[in-house]
Amino acid sequence: MATTAQNLLQDKAIHRLLVTLVARDLRVLVKAPWIIVSRGLAFVVQIFVFAVLMSRLVDVPGFDFFTYYALGTVLVTVASVAFLTGYDVYEENETGMLDYLLSLPLSRRGYVMARSVGGALRSLVYVTPLFAIVAFLRGFFNPIDIAVSYVMIFLLATGITGLSISVALSVRNQDRFDVSLALLELFFIRFSTALYPQAFMPLAAGMIAPFSPVTMTSDAVRAILGHGTIDLLGVAGLLAFVISMLALGAAIYLRKIEGGYFD
Amino acid sequence: MTIIFQNLTKNFKNVVAVRDFNLTIEDGEIMGLLGPNGAGKTTLILTMATVYHPSRGTVLVNGSDVKRAPTLVRSMIGIAFQDPRFDRLLSVHEVLDWHAKITGVAKGVRASRVEDVMRRLGLWEVRKRRTWALSGGMKKRVEDSKVFIQRPPVAVFDEPTAYLDLQTRLLVWDMIKEMKEEGRTIILATNMMDEAEKLSDRVTIMNLGRLVALGTPSQLRHNVKGGEVIEVKPSDSFKIDLEALRMLPNVEDMSVSDGTLKLFVTEGRKALPIILEKLSEQGIGVESIYLKEASLEDVFLQYAGSKLTS
Ligand SMILES: Nc1ncnc2c1ncn2[C@@H]1O[C@H](COP(=O)(O)OP(=O)(O)O)[C@@H](O)[C@H]1O
Ligand SMILES: [Mg+2]
Repeated sequence: MATTAQNLLQDKAIHRLLVTLVARDLRVLVKAPWIIVSRGLAFVVQIFVFAVLMSRLVDVPGFDFFTYYALGTVLVTVASVAFLTGYDVYEENETGMLDYLLSLPLSRRGYVMARSVGGALRSLVYVTPLFAIVAFLRGFFNPIDIAVSYVMIFLLATGITGLSISVALSVRNQDRFDVSLALLELFFIRFSTALYPQAFMPLAAGMIAPFSPVTMTSDAVRAILGHGTIDLLGVAGLLAFVISMLALGAAIYLRKIEGGYFD
Repeated sequence: MTIIFQNLTKNFKNVVAVRDFNLTIEDGEIMGLLGPNGAGKTTLILTMATVYHPSRGTVLVNGSDVKRAPTLVRSMIGIAFQDPRFDRLLSVHEVLDWHAKITGVAKGVRASRVEDVMRRLGLWEVRKRRTWALSGGMKKRVEDSKVFIQRPPVAVFDEPTAYLDLQTRLLVWDMIKEMKEEGRTIILATNMMDEAEKLSDRVTIMNLGRLVALGTPSQLRHNVKGGEVIEVKPSDSFKIDLEALRMLPNVEDMSVSDGTLKLFVTEGRKALPIILEKLSEQGIGVESIYLKEASLEDVFLQYAGSKLTS
């Protein structure tokens, strides 16, 4: 009987467990396909109607607003889907589902990692069709550029997932939790240059925008896909963001879950 | 596997859910945890399973300390939770297959074991249904199935037959006994004494976070003063002279609740007519009177001074 326990602790088995946990996040997503479909439709409508319209209005020479806006929308979608993990974890904490997950034979570190990666992968799956539409329309076919963009999108999603998990476990009141996440989404997404260049933004938003990780990622993704250049500052900022958010998330998670809810 | 609780205390803010708890559960036994709601059974279990961190003291599972080797401890335990815990969007089969996978049930036996347990517990017909659409009883069957499929060295059932019909209850009891026959250590938390009494090798009675009594069901029953109980429903309980009854030779102890008088006695057959005579002397009519062996309910009553089921 002891062998079951020993088998589980072998590294190979642990990888399999992590994959199983990540797969759970993805499976729940696939189980609700209407979300993807409706988001996809909303996206197509948005880029066609809005981006085409705007690119006529905002006629700056040498500037392709359609591409700018379409890629920005992909990034906004990634960010909002990544925030969803926070809502999931909050709900799991409320319903007691977390107790079950915490009783499973995984290390806490592995658990935190799997949840963050699971949430980030989920956002990637989610935006891939949208990304494909844009790539097809704009002729982005360079595999290296696309791969680099994906890595950056994945990093952004992982950072936001980590942040949203931290908020979910720190704020124990439903209203305050909803408000906190809404404010963060506002700062990350609306106050970013994802959809409009800084020059077109209201002054206050324009001053905050450079600090938003969504700004850094969308500018970096546009730089590589549009011009084949790496936006070093953006990438550095993004990395700093992800590392600090994961560290924060893990620290809060570990304290919270090892201590029980009310300790 | 042996499980040792050492001076375990678990607080939630200012609630002391488990208090200075000491107990050794032997390898391969079924240990019943009997106590009313709020006694601390679930907290005790979840602290042993590393979901909660002990406030003081610790638990050793097969020699591993929950504080030092939590991941190893987790890998030895399987829990059927009191309130079913699974993803509402997933189907019954997906929930159970996922649980089997994540708890390391070997690939070769997984599919057949999941199927066997689903068939036995009447879940086969609903295996494709999403769990949120199930009734309370069906959800409980799914929750219990997790552990029957996992077959861990330490199997924990937290009120495994709540919401179940009589037939399924008996089936779940049989399946728990089969797990014991395979040599697994089993913890059974319940607030139903028939369940504790029928299944357990030993029973721990808990109240207000403390261990109040421990022993085999028959040891516990014999510990009740006298070992037999006479239960009287008098026509008018207010007029009884209780002290006069207490002075009778075979009466060891007594308690009154809900207008029913319980007398803990020795040699009940002799005591019964004497008690009846005393009551009639006092001018008290008797609606009913029974002589019984003491039950775990009586044990609880005696140790905790209150009723088990409220
Ligand atoms: N997660 C928790 N947070 C706060 N208090 C809790 C928590 N779990 C249990 N308690 C409290 O601890 C006490 C014991 O509860 P519990 O362990 O659920 O008892 P039982 O399982 O015997 O019904 C109760 O007073 C309960 O309210
Ligand atoms: Mg309980």
